Amino acid sequence: MSDTLEVLVLDDEPIVGKRLKPALAKVGCAVEVFDSPAAALARIAEKEFDVVVTDIRMDEIDGMQVLEAVNRKSLRTKVIMITGYAMMSLAREAMEKGAFDFIAKPFTPEDLREVIGRAAQALRSPAEPPSALAG
Amino acid sequence: MPDDKQPAEPERGQAATVEGRYERIKAAEAARQALLTRPRFSFRTQIFLGFFLAFLFSFGIATSMVITIYLVENKMKFLEIASEYVTEIQQARRFEKNYFLYGTNLQDALEQVYLAKTILEKNSDELLRVAGDKRDSMIIPHLQRYEELLKRLAALESEPDSPRLNQKKKEIEMEVRQHGQEMVSFAQDVMTKEKESMARMVARSRNIHVLSFAVASIFMVYIAYFLGSSLLGTVNRFQGYAQRIAAGDFTPITPIRRFRDEFTELAITINQMLQELEAHEATLVQSHKMRAVGTLTAGVAHELNNPLNNITLTAHALLEDYREMNDDDRREMLGDLVNEAGRAQSIIKNLLDFARESGAQVEPLDLVALLKDTTHLAANQIKLSGIKMEFSATDNLPRVHGDAQQLQQVFLNLILNAMDASPKGGKIQVLVVPADEPNFVAVKIIDFGSGIPEHILGSIFDPFFTTKTKGKGTGLGLSVSQGIVAKHGGRIMVSSREGQGSTFSVVLPITTLPARIGGNMPRSGALS
Repeated sequence: MSDTLEVLVLDDEPIVGKRLKPALAKVGCAVEVFDSPAAALARIAEKEFDVVVTDIRMDEIDGMQVLEAVNRKSLRTKVIMITGYAMMSLAREAMEKGAFDFIAKPFTPEDLREVIGRAAQALRSPAEPPSALAG
Repeated sequence: MPDDKQPAEPERGQAATVEGRYERIKAAEAARQALLTRPRFSFRTQIFLGFFLAFLFSFGIATSMVITIYLVENKMKFLEIASEYVTEIQQARRFEKNYFLYGTNLQDALEQVYLAKTILEKNSDELLRVAGDKRDSMIIPHLQRYEELLKRLAALESEPDSPRLNQKKKEIEMEVRQHGQEMVSFAQDVMTKEKESMARMVARSRNIHVLSFAVASIFMVYIAYFLGSSLLGTVNRFQGYAQRIAAGDFTPITPIRRFRDEFTELAITINQMLQELEAHEATLVQSHKMRAVGTLTAGVAHELNNPLNNITLTAHALLEDYREMNDDDRREMLGDLVNEAGRAQSIIKNLLDFARESGAQVEPLDLVALLKDTTHLAANQIKLSGIKMEFSATDNLPRVHGDAQQLQQVFLNLILNAMDASPKGGKIQVLVVPADEPNFVAVKIIDFGSGIPEHILGSIFDPFFTTKTKGKGTGLGLSVSQGIVAKHGGRIMVSSREGQGSTFSVVLPITTLPARIGGNMPRSGALS
């Protein structure tokens, strides 16, 4: 495992990717940004990321499908779900399906960096089960 | 929606509300006045009058009958007396004749004359009535003279030696015969006259009775018909009002007849009830709208998170890296901030426009634009539930005449229902097309969900009927929608197949009376 964290950010709001890319790059992440779920899924099939950050509600393909795709590809990858306030139940469902954590909109770049930091820590000590964080 | 439209609208809406309420109260008051200022002629009075007239008539017939019977009775009595009198006279004459022919006793004849005289004296008043002056000028003098002559004859008989007896007897005989004759013929004459008069009276009375019976029958039939038809007619009229009110037409009842009666109070009470109903209906429509707003709020809150998140991320990026950025980057980010703030505003504006209470504002409406606004309003909620919405409309559809907010409420309700019925990942179709019948436009909202079982299809428009779980639906949505559509002269129809989905069609009449719309528009415009 290298120092740089391979991160994929998927949100159908282009501004999210635009702002998160430099914000995460600052803390040493290699960030790939997508605003189309289909393109992101194609990329996920190609490459094993360390962290995938995905919005839950998108047109065509939703975040749960992305989560399932990532889980199929690699169980090591930490998936962080972005949710709206109205979708807490969906977020819990995502946690049960093996998401690492969720972050509710609106969030600051610092909020996300913190969650990604925890994900990086979890990646370094794989003995700790991700579900412990969820509780 | 253009921004410049917004500031003018709330004022106009409120003005229209106040005007609408004022006009309804004015109409109700005018109807009340019109109903009350008519002269009172109640059904109680009509029935009483009818029976009183019938009574008077019957009383008249009965009285005339009693009088006739009394008169006939009198006449019969008189005839009896007269015939007794005639018998006595005739008897007297027979004795007189026997005296002249066979020289029998004259005393018997005199006795008969006394009897006749007694009869006359006893019934002198009666005789005066029937014979009038002739009683004193003819009947009595004749009888007296006859008696006198008989007495003279008797006197002659008592002195048989008297000279010239036979000659005297002859002279008296002549006169006696003459008076006897006169007496009998006169009495018979009177009798005949009385008999004739009695026969006439009986015939006349019979005619009067037959005629009265016929007139009474016609009169009774007329009264029964008049009262019956005016009562039943009014009852039927009120049945019509009830049907009209049930269909959602709350126009106050105005007077039809020239008089006030018991139904006037009913009409006034119904008019009061209509005012209450209208107020309640307005409250119901508004509260139902607020429920829809509540449903939409979740979608709006969620949708609002997107621009808010973009603003948060952008603002933080600016804060963190302001110094390292060049002017172009800063400008771009500030531009994003402004755009996203605008986006947030437009998300809540639609909902606020819809939620705002406004009075009935009737105007020509472009249904396609209205449906676009409505689908836009519901879009967040629909996206949130993962359902797709397809919208298609026929170009250049004629406008319909109606209240935009109320119709939007109807369509929104149908769309939200369709959303509830659709499975995740399903779709809803919204079509605006010409209706099957001419001069109507149809809005069809089609879902491909579970469908409505046939046995409840008939009751889905009933108030408080719901298939949703307790707390999720009031069962008033379709009922309120139907009320609104009915007020617009339209109908909501449903067709559904279990397991395949449902189609709700709202059919609305197009504006065929441009003059009327033209007349309405400046009025609401002038108030703004």
